[in-house]
Amino acid sequence: MNVRRSAWTTCLGIVFTAVMLFPVYWMLNVSLTRPADMRQDPPNLVPLHPTFAGYQAVLRDQMPYLGNSLLIGLGTVLLTLVVAAPAGYSLSKLRPPGGRSLTFVLLMAQMIPGIIMAMGFYSIFLNLGVINTWWGLVVADSTLAVPFGVLIFTAFMSGIPDELMGAAKMDGAGSWRTFWHIVIPISRNPIVTVSLFAFLWAWSDFIFASTLNSGGARQPITLGIYRYIGNNNQEWNSIMATAVVASIPAALLLVVAQRYVAAGVTAGAVKD
Amino acid sequence: MAMTINGTQAASRAGTRVSAREGRRWHGRALGLAYLAPVLIYLVAFYAYPLYRNVELSLRDYTVRSFVSGDAPFIGLDNFREVFSDPTFVPAVVHTAVFTVASITFQYVIGFALAIFFNRNFRLSATLRALFLVPWLLPLIVSASTWSWMLNSESGVVNSALGAFGVPQVNWLTSPTWSLVAVIIANIWIGIPFNLVILYSGLQNIPGDVLEVAALDGAGGWKTFRHITFPLLKPVSAIVLLLGFVYTLKVFDIIWIMTRGGPASSSTTLSTWSYQLGFGSLLPHFGAAAAVGNILIVVALFFGLLYIRYERDREAR
Amino acid sequence: MFHTRLRPLGLTVASLAVACTVAGCSTSDAGSDSSASGGDKQYTFWDPYPQFDESSDWAKLVASCGDSAGVSIKRTAYDTSDLTNKTLLAAQQGAAPDIIDIDNPVISTLADAGVLASADDLGLDTSPFAENITAAGVLDGKTYGVPIGANTLALYYNADLLADAGVDPASVTDWDSLNAALAKVKTAGATGITFSGIGTEEGSFQFLPWFWGAGADLKELDSADAVSAVQLWVDWLDKGYAPNSVLNNTQTTAWQEFEAGKVGFVENGTWQMGNAAKLGFKYGVISIPAKDGGAAPAPTGGEFVAAPVQKDTDRYEATTKIINCLTSPDNLLTTDTTLSYIAPITSVQQQQVAKDPSLEPWVTAVDDAKGRTSDNLGTDYPIISEQMWGAFQSAMSGSASAESAMTTAQEAAAAKVK
Repeated sequence: MNVRRSAWTTCLGIVFTAVMLFPVYWMLNVSLTRPADMRQDPPNLVPLHPTFAGYQAVLRDQMPYLGNSLLIGLGTVLLTLVVAAPAGYSLSKLRPPGGRSLTFVLLMAQMIPGIIMAMGFYSIFLNLGVINTWWGLVVADSTLAVPFGVLIFTAFMSGIPDELMGAAKMDGAGSWRTFWHIVIPISRNPIVTVSLFAFLWAWSDFIFASTLNSGGARQPITLGIYRYIGNNNQEWNSIMATAVVASIPAALLLVVAQRYVAAGVTAGAVKD
Repeated sequence: MAMTINGTQAASRAGTRVSAREGRRWHGRALGLAYLAPVLIYLVAFYAYPLYRNVELSLRDYTVRSFVSGDAPFIGLDNFREVFSDPTFVPAVVHTAVFTVASITFQYVIGFALAIFFNRNFRLSATLRALFLVPWLLPLIVSASTWSWMLNSESGVVNSALGAFGVPQVNWLTSPTWSLVAVIIANIWIGIPFNLVILYSGLQNIPGDVLEVAALDGAGGWKTFRHITFPLLKPVSAIVLLLGFVYTLKVFDIIWIMTRGGPASSSTTLSTWSYQLGFGSLLPHFGAAAAVGNILIVVALFFGLLYIRYERDREAR
Repeated sequence: MFHTRLRPLGLTVASLAVACTVAGCSTSDAGSDSSASGGDKQYTFWDPYPQFDESSDWAKLVASCGDSAGVSIKRTAYDTSDLTNKTLLAAQQGAAPDIIDIDNPVISTLADAGVLASADDLGLDTSPFAENITAAGVLDGKTYGVPIGANTLALYYNADLLADAGVDPASVTDWDSLNAALAKVKTAGATGITFSGIGTEEGSFQFLPWFWGAGADLKELDSADAVSAVQLWVDWLDKGYAPNSVLNNTQTTAWQEFEAGKVGFVENGTWQMGNAAKLGFKYGVISIPAKDGGAAPAPTGGEFVAAPVQKDTDRYEATTKIINCLTSPDNLLTTDTTLSYIAPITSVQQQQVAKDPSLEPWVTAVDDAKGRTSDNLGTDYPIISEQMWGAFQSAMSGSASAESAMTTAQEAAAAKVK
């Protein structure tokens, strides 16, 4: 009975996923379509005369950009965690003065439109000489994720039972050791969640990359796509092919990360 | 302002001599600031400055020339007055409201339903859940372009599918009636993964024994949801809704790439209008663009305050 | 326990290392900029051709012009719609590039902002260039930059489809005959015409031949002539001669609709000549008809090479050399052939026609074309253009009648123009 129910649920799951991912399939479809067939009325559900020219272009041009995006994404994750996790710990456990207003400020900080932030960064970066560097872009991209990260960490860590902290203090641990040896290991869930968000936001960021790294040596994939957007002409199958190829490593990363999230919650260090 | 960790430890040792309880509290508070130091520096450097510049832009009369040379005259609230009296203002506000409310409602409901669905841990659930996040990996220019292609009046697959059911051609992106609906649909699609991940995470945090007890007591699926799951997820829901609100207010790329806020401003929101004023034509009008941007921030602030109020009431209870 | 805690950290570090290797292996390939080998002074060059990477002929030409001027050039390519804003932002911060190659209607905006050095300041000779093309870069009697090439619009037609529908392309000489042709194509079961009517400068660009062809003037958007041009487009949509997608079409997607083979005419430009050769059917080109006969004046597209103001005016010497090198007749022939543009110098145009006779009608079209910012419209043009595209979008989408849309547009434009 349970097996049948599980199979039925899996089927339903696949249907939902298929519906959700239909536009991604369409992207794949367009990436294989010849330019002459692109505006067919009615459109072909399956590319009847597939062309691999788009993928050839991508493999020829875009691999370095993918590597750069990966680098920038991982860098953003690291920086976000380093800044946000201690802040979350502080706001939830150490009760600093002005903690509540800080939460509010962080919420509001996310409200500033990206283009405004980008213009502000441009002048700061230019004056500091870090314009057109990949790690400058990492710093800019982390602003997308840090406020969110702090909120998530705060929310999660305030749920950590105070008895755990008390137990550590009785053992003579200071705040740092408690943080590093007790809080962090338990916080695998929010760490993975925040990393996921930080990576995805950095991966798909365009506005900061365009404003701050257009002339740099290591440009991310969102700028690499512009190779196919000329001043008068757009090569759609190459653009879509880039998107398809760009999604693959990120999708793999996602599958791996989800396992961490699914792998249970609190360690149950305190039993009633 | 922020003390080093060594400093606070030394201070705490001094504190214990004064009074054990007082010392520990002071230690905790100063320590708290120490952990916050990176975020605080971060906030001042990266958020305060652009915000200040934006406010400044909105209070001055910027032409292209004065933007470059930096000596625009101060005109107080004139930019705001111009924005309020512009015929696009009211439609932009209305569209923003409709776009935001519709997007968030559907994203939240669908995300929640999917989170509960995936919580059953059936075979492949982890992989499928990961695949649900793929829309998020795509650069917005690609997702928005893909939706544009799918919703094209003549060669779009959505109209072909509808046509198979006898529905006449719908001009999704080019009709003033449908343009807002089209961008809302695309935005919902893009926002579902965010809601799914956070709500799922929240569901995972509900201790299994609570649900077991409910099942033992004979509570069915809907009853469990209404009386246990949903109330327990209220704080998570609140934050998801608030963040969703803030992010949706900012949405710009999707609308811009799909319809450019048109035709005839039928899908213009405050966010796209701000960009249009600043960068959408060959002649930028930065003062007005900044003014609209600030209006957006004020709206978000208002709802943020509501959220803080809600949090305070919740904690008081 | 030690291991479990280090594992995620180790994983992250390992991934970073992998990423560094992948990215690091190809530092020289990433980015769309190039550094030439010669010269100690570095000059920055911005252009709107991200489709040309450092291995392209254009990039090599830029580098070699730098070498011949004794400097090394760092070239960065941007999306064309972005380049203006980037230039303004950079100029504000005192970091404007030495040379920019930018779309011609923007030149007056940048000049008005005080960002560009005039040809006089640079000691640049603008006399060899065709006057109607250079006029787009003139503001208050001073020229700010020289054209690198020009393009303009005409009507490509599907010869096979027209033949089947019983239409003789030579008969299309004014609006009435064009409408008759479109009606015949529709009866034969195909779409009459497609174009780009999108709410951006691209749409205005495509609208102008019809606007000017009706005898309308950009300073009077609400004249009867102007309204008739909008009405032409609206009627095409109402009668089904043009597909609804024109409201969102770029020139590329309009071309793709034409490529699919079921459209009679497409309004498009010189840059499609390369793609036209690959069409799966026979095609031809006719000039866009004016309302009452003759060829309609079409707007000039194409970029200008200009020099932003620099604090150190000594840099201008090499800048001028580079610009002269890029726009020398020999280099123009190569560049304009690559870009599918028509050269802005008559002698080079003749060379282009000699090499490829099918360019003849395009050369004629370019000679008859008008700059959008000419007639000293300068920075008024962007304001008028924005209102104009808003108006034809409203009219075509049914939100307003052609007349009321243009009246509103004229009022708004008149109010905003200084």
